[in-house]
Amino acid sequence: MTAGMSSPEPGINHLLARVQAQMDLDSEMEQDVLAEIRDHLEEAVAEARAEGLGVEEALARAAARFGVEEEIGQELQIAHAGWGTADAIIAAGLPVVCALVLRWLAFAPDGTVLGWPQLLSRPAFWIVALAALLIPLLKFERWRYAMVTWVIFWGLTVVFVTLPALRW
Amino acid sequence: MTIQEQMRKGTTTVIILNLLADAERPMYGYEIIQDLESQSQGYFRFKEGLIYPRLHGMERKGFLRSEWHGENGTRRRKFYAITDAGRRRLGEELEGWRMLSQHVNQLLGVETVP
Repeated sequence: MTAGMSSPEPGINHLLARVQAQMDLDSEMEQDVLAEIRDHLEEAVAEARAEGLGVEEALARAAARFGVEEEIGQELQIAHAGWGTADAIIAAGLPVVCALVLRWLAFAPDGTVLGWPQLLSRPAFWIVALAALLIPLLKFERWRYAMVTWVIFWGLTVVFVTLPALRW
Repeated sequence: MTIQEQMRKGTTTVIILNLLADAERPMYGYEIIQDLESQSQGYFRFKEGLIYPRLHGMERKGFLRSEWHGENGTRRRKFYAITDAGRRRLGEELEGWRMLSQHVNQLLGVETVP
């Protein structure tokens, strides 16, 4: 914090940097957390300013009430720790599971591959397709992750049907 | 840490759930802190930043859901609302609190208001 500051912005950025230094989350999550804390600090400073405090005093009061930035950054990291790993395991594992199920669905017992009409008419295929969409959609906080898994699912489906010689 | 501090820390979750259940509308972090302080006449005053790990933890457990209001480039604010799972948890916690306080009061010989 610098003396005689006219805007609280540099001071808020400094506090956020101290919180951020303790976190190692995925960037989108981290930006969301920091945006939430920024909103908090901006409102706290604005409230203090409305009570007649100068920028520097308002920032100092907001920082004091907020707490030790390093401690809060660590607590936030703990609150989010482990879940990213669980998401990653599901994100990596789901397409593999879908691929195995698809292999079973796309190939007849004698080894011949089913065409699109036969594959799309199988209820089991649509159950797998829905599971590939709904599981990540419900599990992941970011719907985009679910969309990526869904795209991978359909990519594998197209590969299986259009490249019947491919066996894995 | 004094027993009061320990109890305050241990009851923060149920108090936040209760506040959001009573409010019957989504609230944002700073607003929750202000309400906790005013409703408790300043008794529940803690380091404000520590509410966010709590809120995020409760959201992860499914007790709260959150929603951002405001567009990118403008002021964005994250609001929290209690979920059905959160209401169930609140009911369990309140029942547990009643039992605990009743038995502790009995042991300490403190009279309780019926």
